[in-house]
Amino acid sequence: MKKQLGLKLMALILILSMGIAGCSKSSSGGTKNEGEKGGSGGGTLVFARGGDSESLDPAVTTEGESFKVTENVYETLINFGEQDTEIEPGLAEKWEESADGLKHTLKLRKGVKFHDGTDFNAEAVVFNFERWKAGNKERFYYYNSQFGDVIKEVKAVDEHTVEFTLNRVLAPFYKNLAMSPFAIASPAAVEKHGGKFTENPVGTGPFKFKEWKRNDKVTIVKNENYWKKGLPKLDSVIFRVIPENSARLNALNTGEVDLIDGVNFSDVKSIEKNDKLQTFFRPSLNVAYLGLNNERGPLKDKKVRQALNYAVDKKALVDAFYAGAAEPAVNPMPKTVAGYNDAVKDYEYDPEKAKQLLKEAGYEDGFEIELWAMPVARPYMPDGKKVAEAIQANFEKVGVKSKIVSFEWPTYLEKARKGEADAFLLGWTGDNGDADNFLYVLLDEDSIGSNNYAYYKNPKVHELFTKAQSTNDQGEREKLYKEAQEIIKDDAPWVPLVHSKPALAGKAEITGYKAHPTGSDLLSNVEMKK
Amino acid sequence: MEILTEKQPQPIQTVKDEKTVSPWQEAWKSFRKNKLAMVGAGIVLFFILVGIFAPLLAPQGINEQAMAKRLQPPSSQHWFGTDDFGRDIFSRVVFGARISLWVGFFSVIASMAAGCLLGIVAGYYGKWVDAVISRIFDIMLAFPSILLAIAIVAVLGPSLQNALIAIAIINIPNFGRLIRSRVLSVKEEEYIMAARAVGMKDSRILFRHVLPNSMAPIIVQGTLAIATAIIEAAALGFLGLGAEAPNPEWGKMLSDAKQFMIEAPWTMIFPGLAIMLTVLGFNLMGDGFRDALDPRMKN
Repeated sequence: MKKQLGLKLMALILILSMGIAGCSKSSSGGTKNEGEKGGSGGGTLVFARGGDSESLDPAVTTEGESFKVTENVYETLINFGEQDTEIEPGLAEKWEESADGLKHTLKLRKGVKFHDGTDFNAEAVVFNFERWKAGNKERFYYYNSQFGDVIKEVKAVDEHTVEFTLNRVLAPFYKNLAMSPFAIASPAAVEKHGGKFTENPVGTGPFKFKEWKRNDKVTIVKNENYWKKGLPKLDSVIFRVIPENSARLNALNTGEVDLIDGVNFSDVKSIEKNDKLQTFFRPSLNVAYLGLNNERGPLKDKKVRQALNYAVDKKALVDAFYAGAAEPAVNPMPKTVAGYNDAVKDYEYDPEKAKQLLKEAGYEDGFEIELWAMPVARPYMPDGKKVAEAIQANFEKVGVKSKIVSFEWPTYLEKARKGEADAFLLGWTGDNGDADNFLYVLLDEDSIGSNNYAYYKNPKVHELFTKAQSTNDQGEREKLYKEAQEIIKDDAPWVPLVHSKPALAGKAEITGYKAHPTGSDLLSNVEMKK
Repeated sequence: MEILTEKQPQPIQTVKDEKTVSPWQEAWKSFRKNKLAMVGAGIVLFFILVGIFAPLLAPQGINEQAMAKRLQPPSSQHWFGTDDFGRDIFSRVVFGARISLWVGFFSVIASMAAGCLLGIVAGYYGKWVDAVISRIFDIMLAFPSILLAIAIVAVLGPSLQNALIAIAIINIPNFGRLIRSRVLSVKEEEYIMAARAVGMKDSRILFRHVLPNSMAPIIVQGTLAIATAIIEAAALGFLGLGAEAPNPEWGKMLSDAKQFMIEAPWTMIFPGLAIMLTVLGFNLMGDGFRDALDPRMKN
């Protein structure tokens, strides 16, 4: 009797699971149909990516997959260039700065409406800034880290003029304004949806939000009343989630999706050979590095850290794991960032020199460390475990033994943040293309416990960073950052590995797609050629 | 499983007879006649020799990376081609034999020892001891074995040694049940009764009489279990729960190669072949042992 019951239960589970599988299939089939139905005008673009958005309110998230969507639903006061991080007019047409750099007056664009029909005006801007400021510090992370103690007051001078008063000079003020989290949301909608605003985004962007099925897809449709005439060209965009890189590429091959990110570098060659597909490369605004915890064991010694820098063959890494779509990193930030120091010389790959330095440091017989390998693929680090294996072999050549360890991603970050890692692979994608967003964020002593995983501390560098933050003179800032890079090179808190150009792939019919270095692409110019 | 309850010819212990052939010798004779079994034994011997003489056979070390030479097809210089680190796959497969055989032998020896002990105790003493031990075996057998192995490795942490421990643990009930059923039938034999009647101690009865008379099925099961253990070790390695980089464990090599399956199939074919051949060897040999040691198969 018992056996029969068990059998029945099994059968029930089987039937149920089949049902679920059936449902998921029909829903993805539905996606396709919607796309075909909307084919009268610009058509539908299905953009597949590795993870779902965390929130569709850009102000309360720090996560890139969220910005990919919100970039198209909302707009910022200042825009970045199409494929760079130069500033351009956005919702603000013109701006003016007072002589002391503490007052900024922005003239807003007229005749812009939110998707809910309410007007975009100075009041709306003030509302947004006050919302971020009044909010919980953890929740509005970006506001607090970029503007927190800097913005004193935001005032509506008239219907279309806003005035910002600052406590101190903030050099990257306009670049910060152009970041996705500082997009202007409809005050009426924020009030209406309250806590649910993260799921009901209303902005002024080229696309309106339609629906969000968690872990499956986000659909946005054309904003017919968009202020830029003739845009957007597409009728709708569907952001789909396909976690596995190879599965995503497969979906592109079968025509299920139109555009994918997170393409394995090893697949680039075969995609380029395929006439029906094309590849895109995101301009590099990232750095992958091997952090060396400056407070642990032998790594405390500067000579040891320099030795490890000499030991790593970056060129080989680029060729093997990035299919050449990357360049060896010398400094903690890529060349495109203003203030990059060209004069800094990299530690050339030189195992002999490394051995000699280790000998000088008293580690003639080497030592043993843990080498942490990222468990997830990131645009700057396509395969952490393999890169770790290559570095392991590099280290072994100079007598340093390493044990490769890995944890689940959140645990990995948490442990590294607490300083439990010896040498660890990590990376960073810039938010706004400012040197501050790389150097200060990753290597200032203030950032220990957040993004300074290497526990690097140098009072001189700290002084340079603080100085650079509080001057508006771009030439002066660049000088300060250049000096800092020299000191950092000598201190060698990391082995900077590469700056990669993340690869994407799409159907050959796609035109007008421009991959943005920040990772959030504006899709209003994209078209599907027939 | 029938062989377990079959009675074996009783060992000749009493009268000394010069012409008598021991059952072991007889088994060896019939094993030698079995061609497939000899092929299996040959393969096993081959891999054992490869493992022992790996440093002499392998042209390179296991982790000599040369990025410039990555993913090269088989050539006279690299017989099995190179992997994505430019390492010589032939050398890695050769050294991999050591790892796989090591895991295979030692995990089986460990589970055999533990399984025999528990099985003898359960079978000989019976009653509640038997009930407890047998239910534990049932519980362990209720899990798909690889799942149980994954769970054990997850608790212990991924490493080759822990994979070995996990494989040893999951195979205990197989040996335990086998020996228990053997003991149940053997202990009713007259010579055991006699031993008891003369007041022999339990431990002496168990290890001098019961165990030796249960050896045949254990040898068969043991040989076959090595094959399974090698596959299980490869599966754990494939899942990233076995050998650590840069150890050339065959399963791990397969997993590392899977993204180049189309581009560079040799990265996958050779470790795959190595697994297949060793497992085939042990299986053929195990079958041969079974035939040879099973009294019913005698002509």
